Amino acid sequence: MVAYTGQMTFKKLTGGGEGLRGMVTRRLTGEQMTVMEVQGNGTCFFAAQATEINLVRLNGEALHVEADNLLCTEAGLRTGTTFTGLNGMASGDGLFTTRVEGSGWAAVTSNGPAVILRVSQGMPLRVDPGAYVAHTGNLNRSLRSGAGWTTLMGEGGGEAVQAEFTGEGLVYVQPSEKITFGGDV
Amino acid sequence: MPFHKINGKMVEAPIQPGQRMFSQRGAMLGYRGEVSFTPNLTGGQGGVMSMIGRRVAGEDTPLMTVEGRGTVLFGHGGHHVHVVDLVGDTLCVEADRLLAFDGTLQQSTLFMGSQGGVMGIVRGQVTGQGLFTTRLSGHGSVAVMAHGGVFELPITPGRPVHVDPQAYVAHRGEVTNRLSSALGWRDMIGRGSGEAFQLELSGQGTVYVQASEEKL
Repeated sequence: MVAYTGQMTFKKLTGGGEGLRGMVTRRLTGEQMTVMEVQGNGTCFFAAQATEINLVRLNGEALHVEADNLLCTEAGLRTGTTFTGLNGMASGDGLFTTRVEGSGWAAVTSNGPAVILRVSQGMPLRVDPGAYVAHTGNLNRSLRSGAGWTTLMGEGGGEAVQAEFTGEGLVYVQPSEKITFGGDV
Repeated sequence: MPFHKINGKMVEAPIQPGQRMFSQRGAMLGYRGEVSFTPNLTGGQGGVMSMIGRRVAGEDTPLMTVEGRGTVLFGHGGHHVHVVDLVGDTLCVEADRLLAFDGTLQQSTLFMGSQGGVMGIVRGQVTGQGLFTTRLSGHGSVAVMAHGGVFELPITPGRPVHVDPQAYVAHRGEVTNRLSSALGWRDMIGRGSGEAFQLELSGQGTVYVQASEEKL
């Protein structure tokens, strides 16, 4: 929250359960997500760390997003966590990702303006795990390694690991890379 | 001398002989024409007494005087720049957020602790702004820096605006500034929402808010 007019109250929630009137993630270390509930009457303005904001409209489908990148969601949306397995380890996002479902608007932050890339059958997409922000639709995420013998010698191109998306859906990619394990080798 | 925005992070200002401008030292990016930059030891307008006042208040930012004929480009640290045109009203801003301003403006240091008594002093601590702020008044332009884009929120009597102290940039007009706290039992047991303190701005004017909760 950067500013509001009218009357607002802010209450901390843990985990982000159902029945939220509004929700904000505060940027903390790691995968930890701190959520607060905003209630009241007026206009509330949200922003975080001067990042760009992408509004995502959900009509019953699911949005998968890193907890760090989720700014706020409407009351009608449910949030939960899903297990991504080892995919998350290499991308530095941890083992879990946040899943937002329902109908309404969600605000997703990105470091720089995000591009939305379409993935369709037979047209898989590979993105740098550090530049991945979110995805919607029916997508499978798997890890691709581009590491070869040069990587082992410390002469890798810095793109040893990519996340591959197959299926039907949209992927949000930011023009900036988080520090990841994959980016170091 | 109005400032022209080149993009979100750079402004251009024309300068003519007989006019002068103040800018944060080192904030010049380029210039055309014959322009001289002289460090301003007193940190702005006024004499030595004003300088001492600013030093004591912690509102002394290294400034330089810009004089000559030509156009000057200003920008600093990749921060977003917002231009405020004053027409006889006042702007209150932290000195380290000032990028450049017209020499025609009156610069003074304002004691903020007097607004709101004890809470006024607490506010200085909580917001990290200290007890003093810089006030500019008169006719002219000011270029203010912020982390992230700036938006303006109007303040009208009876409709106060609450701003996160870290996201507050500046305000103009007849505005009183009060720290309001929403501290409750939740904050005491470490379950606060992180929005325990807000600046409540009431009166008539405008508040400038940045899209980040980070100081410069």
